[in-house]
Amino acid sequence: MNKTKFWIGRGIKNVILVIFSLFCVFPLIWVLIAATNTSVDIVSGVLVPGKNIVANFQTLSEHYDVFGASWNTIKYSAVCTVAAIVVCSIAGYGFEIYHDKVKDKLFGLLMLTMMIPFVATMLPLYQSYAKLGLLNSTLGFILPQVSTVFLIMLFRQNSRTFPKDIIEAARIDGETELGIFFKMFMPTMKATYAAGATIMFMNAWNNYMWARLIMSDNSAQTLPMMISNMTTGHYIDYGMLMLAVLISTLPTLIVFFALQKSFVQGMTGAVKG
Amino acid sequence: MRKRMIALFMMAFLVVGTLAGCTGGGSGDEGKKDDKANVENEAGDANEGDVGAGKLTVWCWDPTFNINAMNAAAEIYKKDHPQFELEVTEISSGDIIQKLATSTSAGNTADVLPDVILFDDSLVAQEVVSYPDVFMDLTDSGIDFSQFSEGKVACSVVDGKNYGVPFDSGAAIAAYRTDILEDAGFTIDDFTDVTWSEWIKKAKVVKEKTGKALINGQSSYNQVTVMLKSCGGSFFDEDGNLDIAGNEKIKRICELYLEMLEAGVYQEEVGWDTYIGNINNGNVAGAMNGCWIMSSIQAADNQSGLWAITNVPSVDGVDDATNYSSQGGSTWTITTECENPKLAIDFFNSTFAGSEELYDNILPSGAIATWIPAGGSEAYSQEVEFYGNQPVYSMIVEYTSKIPICMTNAYEASARQAVCTAISNVAFSGADLDEELVAAEETVSFEMER
Repeated sequence: MNKTKFWIGRGIKNVILVIFSLFCVFPLIWVLIAATNTSVDIVSGVLVPGKNIVANFQTLSEHYDVFGASWNTIKYSAVCTVAAIVVCSIAGYGFEIYHDKVKDKLFGLLMLTMMIPFVATMLPLYQSYAKLGLLNSTLGFILPQVSTVFLIMLFRQNSRTFPKDIIEAARIDGETELGIFFKMFMPTMKATYAAGATIMFMNAWNNYMWARLIMSDNSAQTLPMMISNMTTGHYIDYGMLMLAVLISTLPTLIVFFALQKSFVQGMTGAVKG
Repeated sequence: MRKRMIALFMMAFLVVGTLAGCTGGGSGDEGKKDDKANVENEAGDANEGDVGAGKLTVWCWDPTFNINAMNAAAEIYKKDHPQFELEVTEISSGDIIQKLATSTSAGNTADVLPDVILFDDSLVAQEVVSYPDVFMDLTDSGIDFSQFSEGKVACSVVDGKNYGVPFDSGAAIAAYRTDILEDAGFTIDDFTDVTWSEWIKKAKVVKEKTGKALINGQSSYNQVTVMLKSCGGSFFDEDGNLDIAGNEKIKRICELYLEMLEAGVYQEEVGWDTYIGNINNGNVAGAMNGCWIMSSIQAADNQSGLWAITNVPSVDGVDDATNYSSQGGSTWTITTECENPKLAIDFFNSTFAGSEELYDNILPSGAIATWIPAGGSEAYSQEVEFYGNQPVYSMIVEYTSKIPICMTNAYEASARQAVCTAISNVAFSGADLDEELVAAEETVSFEMER
């Protein structure tokens, strides 16, 4: 009797989970189906795969430099991700390992900046970058994303789980502080780095507003900028648009699924033994 | 202490290292800037001999329409001026507004703005008023504005000065499915030169016999504009003061709109995709909007021959009512950052304000001229199979020339939105129309004072 109740309960839970999962995954499936249909089919509400994916791709590549935009997005996201996790992990490590009261207060101040939305800082940031001559440059695009409070916090929190004994032992063995960070901390905290990289890559990949503001050249267009341009014509080709959305979504999905296990470990602060 | 110093050094070293790595791209861009400067210098030198030599930079959107038109214009201009160069950057209309706002706030328009910017007609006056130093006064530039539709030119006139070169027509059309009209016992002629009251009566018959609304729309935003412009109406008086609450034309239009909604002959949609979807599906029997809507209608190519266009109904019971109106369309502006204004003006004089060939070439993309002489060409008189062999392009050019002149204002979009909100409150919450129009005027007035 108890076994039956257990299986019924488990079955109900699974059904509920499947229903919620379908709700979550439906937009992605819809984009996938829409990318294979004509614009007229999409606005007519057709929900079965069509045969127009090749034609949609032809239209897309005819009107937009999809490869150039993809390359720009990959380039900017990769540089942003590497730079951000290096800078933020050093900052997080520093705040935790060399912490004192002043640094704790400074960290509190940093946390406060998380409350300020980007739109509020956008204009002064733009003015500063304009004065520095960084408009329309890769450096100008990347700099504001290199240091994020959330990543510093993530690395600081996870640094707490890093065994202090290892640091002491390394110092006794004559290892430099720089060596301890690169040779001990970095390899041990792989999961945290994976989590940080996943978050940063997704943010950089989807960055639209700052990219749009600072970049003016056609050659500097990213995928989100390209997709935004597709929605303002007299006639919106939804088939082409959905294919572009799909192309833009796939890399972030791949990165997430590749680093999923480490992402979960990293977010929960696990140290790989 | 030593540890702290080391920690600080580590942070500084890595940050500097990271930034140095990134500057590679920046340097490349610097190189590009130098190249641009060289091109401009060379152009400047060349200009001493040939006004058509040099480079123009343009911001606009839509590769199949506006960008295509600009590139086609450049091809024509290059025939006589081989040293001419054009660089078009694709930026959406909304992003242009944002970049304009941020660059003017930062005071560095020289580094950011291009020579030419395209604006939606409803935004030109607003942008010129908001940023008076950014746009070039073209009144005495030599561009013959009398050859454009008067109503269209009025969109870019501020304080009696012309700030834009009109581009595509936003002439309003009423497009109907002739097969559905036939099922209800009507032809396209029954909806030509009619008043809104007559239109509603006939639309009720269509609804009764076919179960379909005659037209649809994404809220009342576009529809109210079409109706208001058809009788030369405005949300503002001649002195630029708000004129909503006591405006008989606006009240009459709201009453007609509410009547259509109540009778179910006008279907309000939740979004653009459902609006287009229901037109393409045949869930509604027609569409009424700027003529640019034709590209969306024609996307359903299996409906070729089933459509026909005609003019829009006139607002009965008010002065100056006509069957012609506009919605949308766009206008080219030249910025004061343009380093070679002579070139820009000569370019527009030779193309958008002077070339039948250009308008013939861009006609297949759906860009219909507001430059009246273009309407006389053979390309414009061709019959279009999709619309039952009607000469739709010359019909639209004719409609364009008859659009009444309307007052424009920087707060046009806000006023439109406020009136739409008033209509929604009456239609869906049972509010009183007069009170809602007073509230709408107060809302816009507050925004104008701010």
